[in-house]
Amino acid sequence: MIFKSIVILIEIIISYLLQTSVFTGLRLADVVPDVFIILISSLGYIAGPNFAAVTGFVCGLILDLTFGGLVGVFALIYTVIGFVCGFSNRIYDHEDYTLPLFIIGLSELAYNILYYLLFYVLKGNLDFAYFSIRYLLPRVIYTVLVSVVLYRLLNFNYNIFEKIDRHKKDKSEEVIDFKGFDFIGRRGL
Amino acid sequence: MGRNKKKFELSSRLVFSLLIMVSVGLIVVSYLFSDIFSPVKSFMGDFFVPMQKGIAIIGGAISDKIQIFEDKQKLIEENEKLTNELNDLKLERQTLISEKYELSWYRDIYENDTVYQTAQKVVAKIISRNPNGACDVFLVDKGADDGIEVNMNVLANGGLVGLVTETGKNWSKVRTIIADESAVSGRFRITSDTCIVKGSLKTMDMGYIDVEMINLNAEVYDNYEVVTSYISDKYLPGILIGYVSNIRNDASELNKRAYLSPVVDFEHLEAVIILKAQRESLEGIE
Repeated sequence: MIFKSIVILIEIIISYLLQTSVFTGLRLADVVPDVFIILISSLGYIAGPNFAAVTGFVCGLILDLTFGGLVGVFALIYTVIGFVCGFSNRIYDHEDYTLPLFIIGLSELAYNILYYLLFYVLKGNLDFAYFSIRYLLPRVIYTVLVSVVLYRLLNFNYNIFEKIDRHKKDKSEEVIDFKGFDFIGRRGL
Repeated sequence: MGRNKKKFELSSRLVFSLLIMVSVGLIVVSYLFSDIFSPVKSFMGDFFVPMQKGIAIIGGAISDKIQIFEDKQKLIEENEKLTNELNDLKLERQTLISEKYELSWYRDIYENDTVYQTAQKVVAKIISRNPNGACDVFLVDKGADDGIEVNMNVLANGGLVGLVTETGKNWSKVRTIIADESAVSGRFRITSDTCIVKGSLKTMDMGYIDVEMINLNAEVYDNYEVVTSYISDKYLPGILIGYVSNIRNDASELNKRAYLSPVVDFEHLEAVIILKAQRESLEGIE
């Protein structure tokens, strides 16, 4: 569990760097793909709501603390998206590479609508047609395009560490059961 | 199995509602006490900036390499084009020299206009932009260690880029004049009529932002220069913002409004100049 969390933390940092430094140099139609959304939705699909919500919270907090004005707004948006995406974990299949793209596209759509509501409508800018053509559509398309590659990496990565974790657990299961640590172990992230 | 599933859902809901409560709490706290997160923010900056700097260096190196492989033919064509351009520019230079005398005459009138040219300058590289793809906010690689303070003016290509809104140890955040929340008090260099330059990312896609509140009687025409005015409390006076066009009456018929094309190319900015002089200290000198 701890090992997996550290790996995800590294993934979050890499995503932040990809989004703010690498992809800003590779803009298509003047938009940057949302690497955080790819990470959060994929984790929701692969690992379930708990991981995705916490990852979303951390990602949002990083954005808030580097670019945002009010701290906590992006954290809120990303947490909600991560949690909702987590329910798709019930139909997770580690060889399915099309469904997650669909989920990522939907999440990006939801993120943009929430962003529009919080950052445009509250400022009195109600031009949804402009927003959808200028930002929403290009971002959804570009994000899904990038996620074709990134999802495979994330899925591959996660499955490897899942195997390592499971291997460790199998070895020490008897001891845990005997001492009654099982309950605490299950309640973690 | 069924029991396990139920327990799992319950705990995930607990985690979710906890996170939601924490983020709402953070929003409320940061709304009430806006400065409370600045140490954390500067720590985050210190943490990420070295990595972003590295990426910027690598990216620059890669794009330099790609540049070398450009076609020879293309270079020849470019050479031809540039020679023509050079001839044009030589002619233009002559007219500019004559205009320079005119300019120095204006500067004598507006002594303050030269202040920003004598102020100490720092060149800073842009290391990351707004993750949403817009050009309204970016981070540069110079911070408090280099003497950057909040509200210092940022220039590029001889024009106004924006304002430093936050600084960390080795980074600072710049808000450009085209951001939706920016409004710069401007002045026509020739007629001294004041106006307000309002940022708007939407119209900037078409290459202009709005100038509002121009006096109805002001005799201003297309291609007049707009510079920062004396009445601004943050911007130094006399910095070029851009050129106006499409001057027309306001809907209220009480003011004029116009389009303004900024002199700075915000899409392709790579480095900016930060002026180490603030409006407050200027008042002290006077």
